[in-house]
Amino acid sequence: MTKIVDSYRFLDGITKRMMKHWATLGVPRQIPWTPLAKPISQCTVSLLSSAAVALKTDRPFDQEIERRDPWFADPSYRVLPGKTATHDARVYHLHINPSFAQQDLNCVMPVERLSQLEAAGEIGRSAPSHYSYMGYTLRPEALLRGTVPRIIGQLRQEQVDVVVLVPV
Amino acid sequence: MMPELTASVGVPRIAAIEHPFGLTLGLPGDAACQLAVLRAALRALEEMSQPGAVVHLPFEWNSSEKLNIYPPETPPIARYLRRHPWYVPKFLSRTPPEVPEQPGP
Repeated sequence: MTKIVDSYRFLDGITKRMMKHWATLGVPRQIPWTPLAKPISQCTVSLLSSAAVALKTDRPFDQEIERRDPWFADPSYRVLPGKTATHDARVYHLHINPSFAQQDLNCVMPVERLSQLEAAGEIGRSAPSHYSYMGYTLRPEALLRGTVPRIIGQLRQEQVDVVVLVPV
Repeated sequence: MMPELTASVGVPRIAAIEHPFGLTLGLPGDAACQLAVLRAALRALEEMSQPGAVVHLPFEWNSSEKLNIYPPETPPIARYLRRHPWYVPKFLSRTPPEVPEQPGP
């Protein structure tokens, strides 16, 4: 039987109702489209996780911003090198249990799995940089106008062909 | 995760997966599952040929382990709405107050 994903399986009653309502708020718009220009086996692939992952040596995501103004979260982003290991990183997202990703970063940011695909020749290469930002905000302007163009700029610089967005 | 919600904002391609929050690729240490999910998402990318395409990945979440997927601290917005229930409609309509209100609880 063909699997159809239940979008709301892991939500409790009230949150489920809220998210179902949010799904009706989208305004029809032209969906952007860039065709895949070459086989995946020749593509440079980067990861973008909304789990708010930062290297321990980097500036932490500022959780206090969201605690002060619960409609908003730290709109910045962090770069994680292709060789990032679980013990190099911390997870700052305030809406998930971060303990799984703290045990194994690949739960939300599969850098090691991507390297495996590179070694097996299934992708061209893992990009030099992967990215993370803090998912959840109801004031997305700073994220959309500041962070997103900066990430796109770096993706272009590193000639990335494919970005896998990993929601959490 | 919530492909219906993702689709509603007009995302070009979606590889939908029915995994719990915080475990998008699979459980810690389950490299086989994580690899299979990543590989399936990239295969889906090769298949999808039109804007708004959704591929439902065939993974079943059957962990027998009782998992706590909740954050250790109640998310600030949930705490805030409990204390300020009159803001629930604003949250539901995704129209936050124009000027940030006084700090939450």
